[in-house]
Amino acid sequence: MSAPAVRTDRLTKRYGRLLALDELDLTVPAGEVFGFLGPNGAGKSTTIRLLLGMTRPSSGRAWIFDTDAADVAGAHRRLAYVPADVALWPRLTGAEILDLLDRTGPGTDRAYRDELVERFALDPSKPAGAYSTGNRQKVALIAAFATRAPLLVLDEPTSGLDPLMEREFRRAVTEARDEGRTVFLSSHQLAEVEAVCDRVAILRAGRLVDVATVPDLRRLHRTEVLVRFAGPVPDLTAVPGVDSVDPGTDSAVRFTVSGPPGPALRALAAADVTTLTMREPTLEEIFLDYYGETGR
Amino acid sequence: MTAAELRTAGAVPVRPIAGGAYTRLALHQVRRGALVVLAVTAGMSALVATTYESTVGDALDPAALAALAENPAIRTLFGEPVALDSAGGFTVWRTGTVLAVLLSVWGLLAATRITRGEEDAGRWGLLLAGRLALPAVLRRHLTVLCGVMGLTGVAVAGALTAVGTPPAGAAVHGAGLALAGMFAVAAAILAGQVLPTRAGASGAAVALLGLGLLARMVGDGVAALAWLRWLSPYGLLALTRPYREDRALPLVVLALATVVVGAVALALAGRRDVGAGLVAPAAGRAPRRWLLGSVRAFAVRRLLRPLAGWSAGVGAYFLLIGVLAVSMTDFLADNQRFADLAGEAGFAGLGSVRGYTATMFALLAVPVGVFAAVRMAGFAAAEADRRLTGLHAQPITRGRLLGAEVAATGAGAAVLLTVAGAATWLGAAAVDADLPVLAALAGTWNVLPIALLCLGAAVLALGWAPRAVAAAGALPAAGGFLLQVVADSTGAPAWVSRLSPFAHLAAVPDTAPNWPASAVMTALAGAALLAGGYGYRRRDLRG
Ligand SMILES: Nc1ncnc2c1ncn2[C@@H]1O[C@H](COP(=O)(O)OP(=O)(O)O)[C@@H](O)[C@H]1O
Ligand SMILES: [Mg+2]
Repeated sequence: MSAPAVRTDRLTKRYGRLLALDELDLTVPAGEVFGFLGPNGAGKSTTIRLLLGMTRPSSGRAWIFDTDAADVAGAHRRLAYVPADVALWPRLTGAEILDLLDRTGPGTDRAYRDELVERFALDPSKPAGAYSTGNRQKVALIAAFATRAPLLVLDEPTSGLDPLMEREFRRAVTEARDEGRTVFLSSHQLAEVEAVCDRVAILRAGRLVDVATVPDLRRLHRTEVLVRFAGPVPDLTAVPGVDSVDPGTDSAVRFTVSGPPGPALRALAAADVTTLTMREPTLEEIFLDYYGETGR
Repeated sequence: MTAAELRTAGAVPVRPIAGGAYTRLALHQVRRGALVVLAVTAGMSALVATTYESTVGDALDPAALAALAENPAIRTLFGEPVALDSAGGFTVWRTGTVLAVLLSVWGLLAATRITRGEEDAGRWGLLLAGRLALPAVLRRHLTVLCGVMGLTGVAVAGALTAVGTPPAGAAVHGAGLALAGMFAVAAAILAGQVLPTRAGASGAAVALLGLGLLARMVGDGVAALAWLRWLSPYGLLALTRPYREDRALPLVVLALATVVVGAVALALAGRRDVGAGLVAPAAGRAPRRWLLGSVRAFAVRRLLRPLAGWSAGVGAYFLLIGVLAVSMTDFLADNQRFADLAGEAGFAGLGSVRGYTATMFALLAVPVGVFAAVRMAGFAAAEADRRLTGLHAQPITRGRLLGAEVAATGAGAAVLLTVAGAATWLGAAAVDADLPVLAALAGTWNVLPIALLCLGAAVLALGWAPRAVAAAGALPAAGGFLLQVVADSTGAPAWVSRLSPFAHLAAVPDTAPNWPASAVMTALAGAALLAGGYGYRRRDLRG
C-alpha cells in the first residue's frame, strides 16, 4: 500500500479571530482525482497553501506522500501547483516562464508540454504582461500538467477559461488520472467537480462537511424552476421529484426538481405555460438547504 | 448572509460610488510616508534655520561670500549660494536640493506605486469596472499626492516663518519645494501612462529627474549654460533665489509645466486600455533563455536591467565629481574660511583631492544603500502580488530563494561601488588630478558596510514586517545621512550624530579605513540578515 498523496491531521489555521480552517482530517489516496468543493471563503485556498507550506498551520499537520508539508524542498519534488490567481513576471514571455518553471522544478515531459501548448492554444511568444487572466492560467496549467510530479494541486484552475479550454482542461485531468497521478482539484462549481472527480470533499466555513463519491453528490443536485402561465396554475405539490413549491402569484410558480424531471414536465404539459426558467442553485444555496444556516 | 439576502443581492441596483471613495483609497495608501516626508522636510528646514546663528554666525563677510558664489565647483555640487548671510538663505542653500530630491523621489515612487503598481497587480480591474473612468480615478490620485506636496510646502513655509526668517522667502521656498514634488508626481503618472510596468515607469521618471538634477548642476556651474536651469525643476527652484530676490516667475513656469505634464498624463490615460500602456509590449518575440536555469541565475537576470540604470546615474554623477576635483580643491585651499565652514558642515578635508573625493564618496552610501533597499522591496512586492508563487511551489526552500536575491543584490551594490570609483578616477584623470585608480576604488568600497547595513535592515523587515522593507532598508543610508547633516549643521550633542553610520566612516582615501567600525557595521548587517532570514523562513507568505 503506497502512502496517501495528501494527508492532514487536525489541520487548523486561524487568522486572528477568524477560524479559516478547523481541524481538517483528510486523506487522499494516490491515484485519485479528488474534488475539494466549497463556496467562496470556505477555506479551500487556505488548505492548499497549508499543504504547500506557504502558510504555517496554527495547529495540526499535513503530509505529501508522507513527507511533512513544511519540508518544501522534499514535498515539492512530488507535486505541481496551479494557484487560484496566477501572476507572472510581466516581461518574460510564456515560453521563458515555462522554461524557468521546468528548469527549477521537479522535471518536465517537454514533448507533452509542447503538445499542451498547442491544445490550450497558447501563444508562448508573447510577454506575460500582454496575457489575459485565462492565458496566465493556461501557462500555469501547462507547466503543472507537463511536470512528472505524481500529485497535481489545482486551486480553482478554470475560473478564467472559456468553455472550449475547460474541455481541454478536463481532458488533461483524465490523462493525468490514466497515468496514475493524483489530482487535488479545488472548485466552487458543482458541475466541474462532478465531471472529473472520483471523490469529493465539501468544505464550508472552514469545516469539512462531508466526503462523498460523485453519485452520492448528485443527490445534492437540484434545479430551481420558475414557470409562468397564461391560464390557471396546476397543483404540483404531489408530483414526484418536485419540492419546495412556492405558489408566488396566481400566474406563476417556483419549485425545485431533483432526480429525473419527467413527472414535473408531464404535469406542466397540460397547463398553458408562457415562460419556463431553470436555474442551477449555487453551492451556497445547496449548503443552506442541506445543512441549515449555521456557520458564517 | 442568509439565503434570502443572497437571492436579493443581485437585484439591488448598484449604487454609484462617490469619487470620494477613490480619494480616500489613494490617501490611505500614502498617508504614512506622507507624514514622514512632511515631518522630515519641515523639521529639517526649521532646525537648520534656528541653529544658523550658533553654527555659521558671522563667519562670512561679503568678500568671502562673493568668492563662494563665483566658484563653479561649489555651485555645481551644492547649488548657487544666494543669501548665506541670513538664516533663511543658508537653510535654502544647505537643505534645498536635498529636500527637493527627497520630496520628488518619494512622490514619484508613491505615484507609480499607487497607480501603475496597483494596476499591474490587477487590483484596478475591479476599481474601474464601470462607474468612474481611468482618467477620473487617476486625477484623484494625482490630486491627493499634489495635496500632500502642497501641505509639505505650507509646513516648510510655516516652519521657516515661525523660526523668524522673512515670510516672503519662506513662502517662495515652500512653494518651490511643493511644486518640485508635484512636478515629480505628474511626471511619474505620465510615465505610468506610457510604459506598461511600474518598474519601467519609476525608472523613466527617475531618469527624467536625474537629468533635471544634472541640468541644474551644469547650469549652476557653467555660466554659458545657465539657461539650462530653466529646463529643470531643481534649476527653477534655484532660480527663485529665496530670501534675496524671491522671484515668482520660475514658480509660475514650474507650476505651468506641472499642469501641462499632468494634463497630458490624464489625456493619455483616456486613450489606453486598463492594464496596458501606450507603448504596447512587443506582440511576440523569440524566447531568450539565458539566466533561467536556477533561482540564482534568475535573480541575476532580473537585476541586470535596473543595475544598468543605477550604474548610469551613479557613474555620471561621480564622473562629474572627478572632473570637478581640481577646481574645487583649489578654491578651498585658497579660502580657509570656507574650508573651516565646510568642515563644520561635515565636509572636512575638502582642500586636497583625496580629502575632497573621500567626502564625496561618503555620499555614495546613500544611492547604493537605497539601491539595496529598493531591490529587496521589489522582492517583497513580487511575493505580495504573487509573481513569486510559481517559484515558491518548486522544490526550493525559502532560504535558497532569499539567499539568491540577497547575493544578487549584494553583487549589484558591489558593481555600483566599482562603477563609482572608476568613474571618479576617469573624471579626475581627465583634469590631471592626483587620484590613482586604487585610491578611488578604496574610497568607494569603504562605504560598503553602510550598503550592507541597508541590505540587512531590508531583509530584517522582509522577515518580520514585509510591508516596511523599502523604508527599513533605506533608513541606515538615507536616514543616517539626513541625521548627520542635521546634527552637523545644528551642533547637536555628539551622541546624536554618532547614531548615524556616517559618523563612523573614515575619510578614505584621505585616511586609512576605520576597520573596527567597518567590522562592527558588517557584523550588525550580518546579524540583521540572519534574523530576517529566520523570520522569512517561518512566516506565512503573503499574496
Ligand atoms: N491572509 C489572510 N488573512 C486573513 N484572513 C484570510 C487570509 N487568507 C484567507 N483569509 C480568510 O480565510 C477564509 C478562507 O479563505 P480562502 O481559503 O481563501 O477561501 P476559498 O479559497 O475557499 O474561497 C476567508 O474568510 C478569508 O477571508
Ligand atoms: Mg480560493
